[in-house]
Amino acid sequence: MTIANSSRSRKAKAQLFILRVLAYLFIGILVAMCLFFFVMLLLMSSKSNSQLQGAFSLKWGGHFLENLHNAWNDASTNIPRGMVNSFIVAMSSALITTYFSALTAYGIHVYEFRFKRAIFTFIMAIMMIPAQVSAVGFIQLAYKFGLTNKLWLLILPGMAAPVVFFYMKQYLESVLPLEMVEAARIDGSSEFRIFNEVVLPIMKPAVAVQMIFSFVSSWNNYFMPSLLLTKPEKRTVPIMIAMLRSADYSKFDMGKVFMFILLAILPVMLVYAVLSKSIIKGVTSGSVKG
Amino acid sequence: MSEVKLVNIKKVYPVIERNKNKKNVNGHRTGNLQITDEGVVAVQEFSLDIADKEFIVLVGPSGCGKSTTLRMVAGLEEITSGELYIDGEYMNDVAPKDRDIAMVFQNYALYPHMTVYQNMAYSLKIQKASREEIDRKVREAAEILDITDYLDRKPKELSGGQRQRVAIGRAIVRHPKALLMDEPLSNLDAKLRNQMRAEIIKLRERINTTFIYVTHDQTEAMTLGDRIVVMKDGYIQQIATPQEVFDHPSNLFVAGFIGTPQMNFFDAELKLRDGDYWVDVEGASVRLADEKQERLKANHVEEQAVTLGVRPEHLLLADKGIAGKVTVSELMGSSRHLHLTVHGKDVIIIVPSTGGSGNYIGSEVALSFDGSNAHVFSKATEKNLEY
Repeated sequence: MTIANSSRSRKAKAQLFILRVLAYLFIGILVAMCLFFFVMLLLMSSKSNSQLQGAFSLKWGGHFLENLHNAWNDASTNIPRGMVNSFIVAMSSALITTYFSALTAYGIHVYEFRFKRAIFTFIMAIMMIPAQVSAVGFIQLAYKFGLTNKLWLLILPGMAAPVVFFYMKQYLESVLPLEMVEAARIDGSSEFRIFNEVVLPIMKPAVAVQMIFSFVSSWNNYFMPSLLLTKPEKRTVPIMIAMLRSADYSKFDMGKVFMFILLAILPVMLVYAVLSKSIIKGVTSGSVKG
Repeated sequence: MSEVKLVNIKKVYPVIERNKNKKNVNGHRTGNLQITDEGVVAVQEFSLDIADKEFIVLVGPSGCGKSTTLRMVAGLEEITSGELYIDGEYMNDVAPKDRDIAMVFQNYALYPHMTVYQNMAYSLKIQKASREEIDRKVREAAEILDITDYLDRKPKELSGGQRQRVAIGRAIVRHPKALLMDEPLSNLDAKLRNQMRAEIIKLRERINTTFIYVTHDQTEAMTLGDRIVVMKDGYIQQIATPQEVFDHPSNLFVAGFIGTPQMNFFDAELKLRDGDYWVDVEGASVRLADEKQERLKANHVEEQAVTLGVRPEHLLLADKGIAGKVTVSELMGSSRHLHLTVHGKDVIIIVPSTGGSGNYIGSEVALSFDGSNAHVFSKATEKNLEY
């Protein structure tokens, strides 16, 4: 009886071991697939133009610092300026988008007022309009009022972000008990203070997620900046990368281009690394009996 | 001084037009909600004077309007009509933060991102109290509630009972004029609930303020309240001390709602014999006690068919009287609950558990009761005829 039991348990252990190995193998493949492009980018950015023109190799090129120097000091593109511009636009619009969307979501979730449903539907309807459609009118407006080459023109429209609003509203519905708002009211807090001091901290995970999304999409945005920013000192990173394609063929340096791209994704990774810490589960656990 | 006065308070929730048409519910009741042209009526004709430092308990079944009433006092619900005064000041349109009241919610409603200390200090911080004052008051309240050791913890690190203490601490820290509690013990398990109930009695002695306490648990109502307000369908049924409510329920609802197991009801006849009131029930005839005789005479009550109410603990096993058959016997420890069938109706009596082997099931018994423990209710109005 005992022998039969122990052989069965040995079999089960072996099965578990094989399953684990398979699972790790699968995860390993997925990780390799995700990292492949980053590793390739890093390798390519370490190679000189001639090395890149030659046969494909997985060896470290040894021209990393040279490429970095060339890219950073490229007179025609001015990547440091572009990164500052991109960072101002992306960070500001991420902050504005998440704050005002959370505020709108809070208003719709907590308050009872006339036409609440109609307003909600209206906001949702805006979500269905493609950005390119409204862009035509927006750009005409910008040109007519002489507002081109203003970075805030790329930031402000972020305030109305129906998708972010919808995400925030759904999140609020799942985490914010109305009693908490009422408790804060009785504690003497003003409505605005309740939002800033009680509700916003609870929404931290949702805000972090949306900040990452907004930052990335704004950082990578090429369409609107390319139409609104014409002065070289106002250009953002995506415009500069696009410009490299049309650079003089004789001076064309692929190593520099790869370094450009590497520099362009660094801030995005940095923002993700900082904000992902805030995406923690169960931030409201313990507030109310669930 | 912190008196609370409610005068003819009414609360109506407007029905959204679309729903009104769909349901076609003008002027009738669905379930225990009364729906009129104005909307759903939650509370009606609510008048109550709460004295300084009094402990008032609003009790009733779900949907009776007790929580709505409390929320109107807190300022979380608008008052449709009527007047609310706190310390003589008209409060109908005053914001909750300016009423100087505090409230404890059923589900604690603590701020999850703040520590216990910060939760308790929040209202004082808003009042711009000095750091020393905040610290002194928070520690004082924590001392009263025995939560000093948890001041640096977040709510999620606390048990249900500790969280509720923190919620109470947050309420008492700023010495409010009135402390409102909305079913504060409902989320706790039975043992903890008993413990916290005793804590609240002790707390009351220490902080000495006006309490308005909402519960659906009659034990809490009976043990905590100086006076109980029994509510049903938005109306007050009776306002009295716990003893008065138990001994002299004003109507059938109160009689059935207060007391466990609930009062037994029989179809009976109220008779006048030689100037005295008697109740004839299921073959038995009992003369009502002198005190009841006087009250009935004062009200000029005539002979009529009535509903007789007798509490289970007041029904006694006897040689003759109301005949019944025992169907279920439940041992409760010190006593035994016997379920009987009397002319097709269920009746419960409580007998001491010590006597006999307890093998009552199936036996035919006779029940009697004393005239001082009989309650007679009008068949038509369901009111206690003594009132």
